[in-house]
Amino acid sequence: MMLLCLLSWPYLRRHLLRWILTVAGIVLGVGVFVAMHTANRSIFRAFDTTIGRIAGTTQLQVSAGEFGFDESILERVQSVPEVGVAVPVVEATVDTNIPGQGSILILGIDMTGDRSLRDYELKDADEAIIDDPLVFLAQPDSLMVTTEFAERNQLAVNSKVQLATIEGNREFTIRGLMNSAGMTRAFGGNLAVMDIYAAQQILGRGRRFDRIDVRAKEGITIDDCQAALKAALGPAFDVDPPSARGRHFEALLQSYSTAMMISSLFALMVGMFIIYNSFAIAVTHRRSEIGVLRALGATRHQIQTLFLVESIIAGTFGSILGASVGITAALVIAQWISSVLETAGGVAQRVSELEVDPTLIAAGVIAGITTSVVAAWIPARNAARVDPVQALQKGKYQVLSMGENRRRRWMALTAFLMASVCLLLSDSKPLFYTGYVAMMGAGLLLAPALTLFLSKGLRPVLRRLLPAEGTLAADSLVEAPRRTSATVSALMLSLAMVVGFGGFAHSFYSSIQEWMDNALNPDFFVAPSENLATRSLTFPAEISSVIERVDGVDQVQVVRDARVTYHEVPVMVIAIETEKVASTVHRTPVAGSLEEMNRLTAEGKGLFVSESFATNLKTKMADVVELPTPSGLLKLPIVGIIRDYSDLRGSLFIDRSVYRDWWKDDTVNIARVYVRKGQNVEAVRQRVIQTLSSRYRLLVLTNREVRDWIMKLLDQWFGMTYNQIVVAVLVAVLGIVNTLTVSITDRKRELGVMQAVGGLRSQIRWTVWIEALTIGVIGLILGTCLGAVNLYYTLGMIKRDLGGIGLDYIFPSAFMMLMVPIILGAAWIAALGPGEAAVRGSLVEALEYE
Amino acid sequence: MSRVLTAVFNISFLLLQIDPRQILEESQRRTMTQSQHYEGTLRVIDAKSKITEKRWQYDRIGSHGSSKAVLRFTAPAEVKGVALLVLNHPDRSSDQWMWTPALNRDRRIALQDRSTRFFGTDFSFEDLEERDTNQFDFRLLSEESIDGASCWKVQSTPRQTKVSQYTHSYLWIREDNYAFAQIENYNKDQLVRRAHYSDIRNDQGIWTAHQIDMHDAKRNSHTILRIEKLQYNVPMKDDAFTREALSRES
Repeated sequence: MMLLCLLSWPYLRRHLLRWILTVAGIVLGVGVFVAMHTANRSIFRAFDTTIGRIAGTTQLQVSAGEFGFDESILERVQSVPEVGVAVPVVEATVDTNIPGQGSILILGIDMTGDRSLRDYELKDADEAIIDDPLVFLAQPDSLMVTTEFAERNQLAVNSKVQLATIEGNREFTIRGLMNSAGMTRAFGGNLAVMDIYAAQQILGRGRRFDRIDVRAKEGITIDDCQAALKAALGPAFDVDPPSARGRHFEALLQSYSTAMMISSLFALMVGMFIIYNSFAIAVTHRRSEIGVLRALGATRHQIQTLFLVESIIAGTFGSILGASVGITAALVIAQWISSVLETAGGVAQRVSELEVDPTLIAAGVIAGITTSVVAAWIPARNAARVDPVQALQKGKYQVLSMGENRRRRWMALTAFLMASVCLLLSDSKPLFYTGYVAMMGAGLLLAPALTLFLSKGLRPVLRRLLPAEGTLAADSLVEAPRRTSATVSALMLSLAMVVGFGGFAHSFYSSIQEWMDNALNPDFFVAPSENLATRSLTFPAEISSVIERVDGVDQVQVVRDARVTYHEVPVMVIAIETEKVASTVHRTPVAGSLEEMNRLTAEGKGLFVSESFATNLKTKMADVVELPTPSGLLKLPIVGIIRDYSDLRGSLFIDRSVYRDWWKDDTVNIARVYVRKGQNVEAVRQRVIQTLSSRYRLLVLTNREVRDWIMKLLDQWFGMTYNQIVVAVLVAVLGIVNTLTVSITDRKRELGVMQAVGGLRSQIRWTVWIEALTIGVIGLILGTCLGAVNLYYTLGMIKRDLGGIGLDYIFPSAFMMLMVPIILGAAWIAALGPGEAAVRGSLVEALEYE
Repeated sequence: MSRVLTAVFNISFLLLQIDPRQILEESQRRTMTQSQHYEGTLRVIDAKSKITEKRWQYDRIGSHGSSKAVLRFTAPAEVKGVALLVLNHPDRSSDQWMWTPALNRDRRIALQDRSTRFFGTDFSFEDLEERDTNQFDFRLLSEESIDGASCWKVQSTPRQTKVSQYTHSYLWIREDNYAFAQIENYNKDQLVRRAHYSDIRNDQGIWTAHQIDMHDAKRNSHTILRIEKLQYNVPMKDDAFTREALSRES
């Protein structure tokens, strides 16, 4: 404690800026960690809350994927002796057409029996507030909304509200208000209840239900009831507790949250390097002080403890601040990710409040403190090993440093060899990730040696550019590799992360572009909603013939798709008119022959799957897929594997005739329309709109609009990539400012002498600036190299564990070209302050400095 | 004291002699008709004394236990055309379907839902079923007076085959004309509903209550059904009591 007060505190006061920058590294790392995890947790909790609150006392839910099933299943369920209550449900989100309100979750339920499962918490707890229950059921425009929604929009009982339905914008009458508690807090209060049969009509369900909510008879266990239902209904139906519905959403969120977690780990590692750099520099500067302490009797343990305690204090302060920043940012991030998931996955939820987990915050703080301690461990150990005699002598430090470098090189070589072996055996997941860590470790271990090598290599170049300033800058880097290499390592790691994400994004964009060119080539698309991922609204099959009759239309291909659970993985089943599609879509399969694949699928003798389906479900050509359908198990062999991005978890393509036969449903999600040659596409599109708009609520989107929608979705999804750039730039600024601050301190006398012998201020500034720019250049070179390796592993990781998507290795050259001015600009900005500090100090003081 | 004891003994002896099933069967026999038609006015008075009124037309064909009934709302305009089809069975619970003209479709009222209120009234869907004596066990409890008329008080308990929201009921049957005077329905020892029959008249030889006051004990609300234009044995077609007929008639 005494040492802290006598030594650490004065040192901190003298170098306050450096400590702030050191702590900023931890703030960044912990902040990103806490923000991402809190956001993810909040999103999932919001979704789970919606499901749980709507479920009420429901114990089990019968479903058949997103396709739903015929009404007749309800009687089968109700006739199972173990079932106490079974209530059908239809559920969908629709646009409210109220500015600022967005969508509302419609819950269609059979009001005659639903009160056994759900409590609507009607206002004044009186059913009569539904005006008249018989009127509510008799009039299909009847709606019950939450008091929260009503108050927000100045609505009351008997008010009218417009909703966007499959039949167009329709007016509904509010005939009941539900108090905002329990079920009604689902979906952020944007919840409306209506009669199920009216809901079927407005949502285009025909005579189908989305699911049946079940409660077991009194005295019967949930497990027994579940087993009885499964036995009665067969494999075509899922019978699960309500919490299982989060499976797909969790899967969708998982891919995103895994990527975010990797980002946060990178940020923490970067913070670790900044701290390591700061402490290593501090140990160097305080060698004399340490030597004196040791000479006076301080033990090695005491010295090491001193530095570790300093790191703990810095880590604690930084972590707490980082956690606060993270929580503040989490809500914004959560709402942003929610909108991306709604657009990408068609799964809507609203995040209105944060789910802050004290355990997570504690974990973040502990991670930050641990990172700080780990980062300071080696410098603290080095400080403890300082020989008191050598410490008071000049020049010895460089000799020790050379020994260290040799050790690092050997370790790097070992790590590289290990990574190479793991690469050869990369089919094994543990070996793949071990190789990844080893390779990155090798890069980091080599960073100091490579920094020195490049510094020496750049010296002639700098000397040629600016003889005096360039030489001084290069010499400063060469003579203080310890000071420079940690900053370069942090920058290298950060850029490697940027290249990894950027390269992945670039490859993905490129693959998506190719997919759109091949598969999404109709002239326009007819869809029920702007959100093409929405599948809760469908058209009747007749829409195809109606569109075909419009003058100028050459061909219409209708598509029906929905998610089903296959081997506990949510996948997309896409029913297409295979022969028609084969005539307009020509793509090269990853496996199988295109003609054979199309022929067999059209004949109903097979199906083809996406590459991500094959990877995620570990299937290959000729494997038989057993799909649960309302008519039984549909067994078809895989006759082709293609690259398809309709669903990141995987998609299967079957012929529409097969879908109709097995699912007993002929509704349609999307119509793909081709215009006859020579016809004006826009004119035909307008004719289609005029023909259909009076009968359906629909959007007729041009090919360009659909592509733009997909690209916008990708931009949102990869928005994180741009955040990585921000992190990289911040790292560059923090690390370089830190290094230069120390450099100027170290060279105070040298710079003072320069000024004394007539050196201009501009020359001194340029010295500092060139040093910063050189660090930036070295960081860019090493970061690009490590990034190229990181990209390989990133693509491998994505294929294995984050969606099974196969992407080509395309180094993001243009992206890296963009990073060059950004990093160099950041380096120069970082050098401005230290540069000014270098020229404005007292000359006398500088000459006296030792 | 001995006279009182004697009277009690005599009454008890007499009660022991009377078979409650025979009372119910006689009551059922006296109301057996080929068909029934009436127009009803339904007045719902909630706990806050708010009154809503509806009108319906009721048709029934067949005898107790196997009868078929259609109840169709005629007023107000918002509910006109909504209908309920009830197909009674002697050995099990009835089948019920509701028709909604605005949606142009029917929906089945599930067994589990029979305990819910019938469209905001104090009747439940189960209360609209006809009771057949074979679905219950009876126990004669005592003689009591309801509205000045001497009645047998009979406890009725549903048999295993009958799915009911009630564990037991008390029935007051008038000794003079075997018409129902009152019914109390219980769930364990909690009174759920009480139906009070009044304005009992002789229509075509059948003693019929022209007013039924159903009281929901928990909600403390009343629904009063007034029966008008009552006719028995009116010619009706069997196919008028099918799901298809519901849509046709609307």
